[in-house]
Parts: sequence; C-alpha cells; structure tokens
Amino acid sequence: MIDRNLAQGLCLAAIALAFGLSSLLYPIGTLKRAGPGLFPLIVSSALLVIALLSIARSRFVERQPFEFRLKNIVIILLSLSAFVGVSKFINMTVGIAVMVFMSSLAASTYSWRRNLKISVVLIAVAFAFQRFFGLNLPLY
Amino acid sequence: MDILQNLAFGFEHALSLQNLLFCAIGCVVGTMVGMLPGLGPMATISLLLPMTYSLPPVGSLIMLAGIYYGAQYGASVSAITMKIPHANSIVACIDGYEMTLKGKTGLAIFTAGVSSFIGGTVAIVVLAWLAPMLGEVALLFGPADYCALILFGFMCMSFVTTGSLLNGLAMCLVGILLGQIGTDVISGMERFTLNLVFLANGAGLVSVALGCFGIAEIAKNLDTRAERTPFNGKIHLMPTWPEFKRIIPSALRGSAVGSLLGILPGGGPVIAQFAAYAADKKMSKYRDEMGKGAIEGVAGQAAADEAAARTSFIPLMSIGIPENPVMALMMAAFIIKGIQPGPNMIAGHPDLFWGLVASMWIGNVFLLVLNVPLVRYWLSVFKISYNVLFPSILFFCCIGTYSVNNNVDEVFITAAFGLIGYMFLRLGLDAAPLMLGFILGPMLEEYFRRAMLISRGSFSVFIERPISGTLVALIALFILWQIVSFALKASRARRTAPRPG
Repeated sequence: MIDRNLAQGLCLAAIALAFGLSSLLYPIGTLKRAGPGLFPLIVSSALLVIALLSIARSRFVERQPFEFRLKNIVIILLSLSAFVGVSKFINMTVGIAVMVFMSSLAASTYSWRRNLKISVVLIAVAFAFQRFFGLNLPLY
Repeated sequence: MDILQNLAFGFEHALSLQNLLFCAIGCVVGTMVGMLPGLGPMATISLLLPMTYSLPPVGSLIMLAGIYYGAQYGASVSAITMKIPHANSIVACIDGYEMTLKGKTGLAIFTAGVSSFIGGTVAIVVLAWLAPMLGEVALLFGPADYCALILFGFMCMSFVTTGSLLNGLAMCLVGILLGQIGTDVISGMERFTLNLVFLANGAGLVSVALGCFGIAEIAKNLDTRAERTPFNGKIHLMPTWPEFKRIIPSALRGSAVGSLLGILPGGGPVIAQFAAYAADKKMSKYRDEMGKGAIEGVAGQAAADEAAARTSFIPLMSIGIPENPVMALMMAAFIIKGIQPGPNMIAGHPDLFWGLVASMWIGNVFLLVLNVPLVRYWLSVFKISYNVLFPSILFFCCIGTYSVNNNVDEVFITAAFGLIGYMFLRLGLDAAPLMLGFILGPMLEEYFRRAMLISRGSFSVFIERPISGTLVALIALFILWQIVSFALKASRARRTAPRPG
C-alpha cells in the first residue's frame, strides 16, 4: 500500500525541486537588486522544507492508502483533447458533439440518444453565447 | 449622513434595469449551481467568469457577487433538504436536515431565507461603514506591510480551509510558484515557460481555476458514482408566531459573528457558520434542542454565512488583499475589468463600489422573494442526472477557457491543471489555497522586491515597521502554537498507545 501522507511529501518535494533547480538557470542577483530567479528560489526552498517536514510527519501519523483511479480522468482529458483537435481542424460544433460522446464513456451508463440530446442542447447554448454574449466561437 | 448619501448614490446605479437584471441572473444562477454537489461558489465563479468579459464592469461584478451569495444560499437549501454536504454548508446539515426528518422542511428553509436576509442586511451596513474607513488606513501600508499581510493571510487561510497548516501553506507556495510561470515584469525574462509560446503570458487564471475546481471535481464525482434521491417531501413555508420569534435573536447573533469573522484574514462563511453555531449552543434559550432540529441551529449559521460572505468583500475592496480564495477570484474579475481593488477604488470608482454594495441588498431581496416561495421548483435541479450534468460542465470549461483569448489550445492548459488538481485531490491536498497563492503570488513578489530595494536588502524592514512587525510576530506565534500542539498531541498518543507485552 502506498502511504498517502508520504506520497504528499514526495510530490511536494518533486515540485519544489523542479522549480528550485530551474530557478537557478535565471540570474539570482542580490536581495537588494533581486534577479528573476531569486523569488522563485526562496519560495521553492520554503516548499522543500515543508515537503521534508511532511515526509517526517508521515512516520508519526497513521498510514492512509493513496488511490489514483486513472480511467475517468484519462477519458475526460482525451475528450478535451478531441474537442481541441476537432475544433481546430473541422469546427467547434462537431468538437462539442465529439466531446460529449467521448466524455460520456466515463458515465455510469452509456446512451447515444442521451448524448445526442445533450449535444444538440449544448450546441444551441453555444450559438446563443455567440449571438447574445458576443463570444467569438468558430462554430461553423 | 455620508453613508446614507453614498448608499443612495449606489442604489441609483444598482436599480438601473440592466443592473437589476444582472443581479437577478447572478442570484438565480448562483442558487441553482450552488445546490449541485461538487459545485460551490469557487467552481461557479470560475465557470462563469469568462462569460462576463463582454459585459460592462459594474454589471459583470454585480452578477458575479450575486453568483457568490446565491451559491451560498443554494448550498444551504441542498443541505437542509437532502443533507448534501458542500464545503460551505456543513453546519446547515446538522439541524436543518433534522428539521426535514421531523417534517419541518418548509420552516427550515423559511428560517434560512429570513436569517440570510437579516445577516446580509447587517453585513451591508457594516460594509458601507467600515470599508471606506479601512481604505484610509490602507494608505499607511508600505511594501513590507503588504508583504506581511499577504503572508499572514496565507497562514490563516491555510489553517482554516485545510485544518493542517503544513498542507495549506504548501498549496499556497505551489500556487505562488505556478504564478511565476511567464514573463518577469521587471527583467522581461521568461521563467518556467518550457519555451512554449502560449505560456509567455503565464498560465491563465481561468485555466487554473477550471482545471482544479471543474475538471478535477468531475473526475472525483465520477469515481464515487454517488446516487442522489430527489426530495419529495411536503413543504409548508409559513411559521407560527412563537417559531418566528425564535428566529430573530439567533439571526442577529449570527449576523454579528459573521460580520466580524468575514473581515478577518482567513475568515469567511465556513468558519463564521461554525462560530455562530457554537455561540447559539452556549447562549440560546433553546440550546438543549441544538443538534436535534432546533430553529436556532439553522437561523444563526445561515445569518453568519451570508454576513461573512458580504463582509469578506471589505479587505478586498479597501486594502486590495483578498482574504479567501473566492475573494481572490473576485479580485481577478476586478482586474480583468481594468479596476485595481484597494484604497483608491472607492474614490476612483464610487459608482462601482457603492453600486455593488447596494446591489448586495437588492440581491438579498431577490434571494428571499425568488427562492423561498419557489423552493419546490429549485429542488427539481436534483432530478438532473450526473450523466447529463458532467458533459455540460465540461462544455462550459471548454467555452470558458477558449473565450479568454479566443485560443482553443488553452484548453490543453486547463486539461493539464485538471490532471494536477485531480492528483492533489487524491493526495488529500485542498486546491483552494493554491488559487489564493496563484493570484497573490505575483503581488507578493512585487512587494517583496520593492521592500528589499527600499531596505537595501535587509530583512529588518519587516520587524522595524509597526504594522509588518505586528503581523510577523503573529505569524511567529501561530507557527509556535502549531509546533507545540503537534508535539503535545504526539506525546499524548505515545502515552496512550498500548505497550507490547
């Protein structure tokens, strides 16, 4: 079992190191005349200290399981990517329909009739946004 | 007298047909979305922020404020009728749902509506009286004071929202670091952009908010596959005179508690609800009934909730520092409209400030008139299946992200933040402090660099000035208290643990 508290600390440490080491690539300057790298270096150092404290704390508190369910988040991310691709190369009307049909794979039940109805309503809403709110949507 | 004149000026603006319409739309949309599980004020404002780009500044801010307090009210309705716990309506679940079990749903909703109205009205008086005064005090603040105030806000907010100072502060710092992505305004150098052109202006606020609060929440809700049973009970709204008499003192107590706690850094509706409930449990004549469906258990917390939601605008509008994540989003909305919240806002944009204050009271009336008698129709929102709802929320996320810069590629950034937000959710890290850090990070950096320049690189500037010195001392005391309480808890746990053999 992966301990959630330990995973928390490790994840924060990874973020701190990624930003902290990258900030060394920019001029640091001095406290009086700070360069673009100084502030992120200070913040990521503070984050690293907290991450280490979290890792240390995980040894003293009760272990909790870390669950990461990939299926639903992956389906959602793929449907958003499909929306971008189809909107760019065809148009946003088709993009909305593709997004609805793809994302519904994560639903508890799948019904193409229901998806069709949702798509029609959402496309109508998009046209209303374009007309009444002045949004520049490439719908056709 | 000045306040009355200013309020009259505000009502003149807020009562224009256009602004009334924006206020009504805000209240209705806020109530509707606030009732849905997993969609609190943060997600609602994030989703609808891009839709207000083409609206006039006063109207769009009135609408967003309406969404905020409408969502607060909607959350309490779902808590009372169906015990659907939102982060901002946990207290309403206690006595409100007990009243529903006793067949007093109508009375509970009426109590929440009237108490919210009382809380909102008291808070608006406090707001109109205090904000201009605090604005004058804010003119005394220097860069070091602002820096210390932001850090103090992070500290309080981290503890209040997550219950763990370490986790909350860590998320604030992650937010600050994400806010560093883009071009450094002083040197003009690009930082952390990975040579991607669309990151030169930084990660968009809307992408971060929609990713962390829209997409991540959808994935989490789909994982749990929670089924809801729509409310079908009877609703009798009007209370008897003795019941009505019990509402008023409790609502007034809640209004006072909420108005005060809304102003403090890290404060806001959630902590105000708990404090008002605790106050009623100590002071109410009917304290023995608390927890078993007491009217006071609904009245006090509802008044505190609405009062705090409104007075939390005071630090934002008078000092320019938001004290909770929802206010940070409101600040972003102000900035998008070209208005810098702070001491000069009241003098520079009196129409906006007083119009917004007046619209809050009008919003109060809308909430009372529209929502209390029509509550049965509102509850039909729960009949919408999540299978229908979540593709629609995704649609709003896509359109919202696209409409910021008319660039469909930015949906990728939203998706990336959706994944990051989901990972944080699974790790038990709350994304709300991240949002506050993301919005205030660039401001913190600017004040820090300015303070260091003025002090010629000496940190003593944070201790020498009375305002920053006091705030730094409070921060130090708070950290010390946390360390001592952790050490005490650990030693107590060791003592009580069973020994082998």
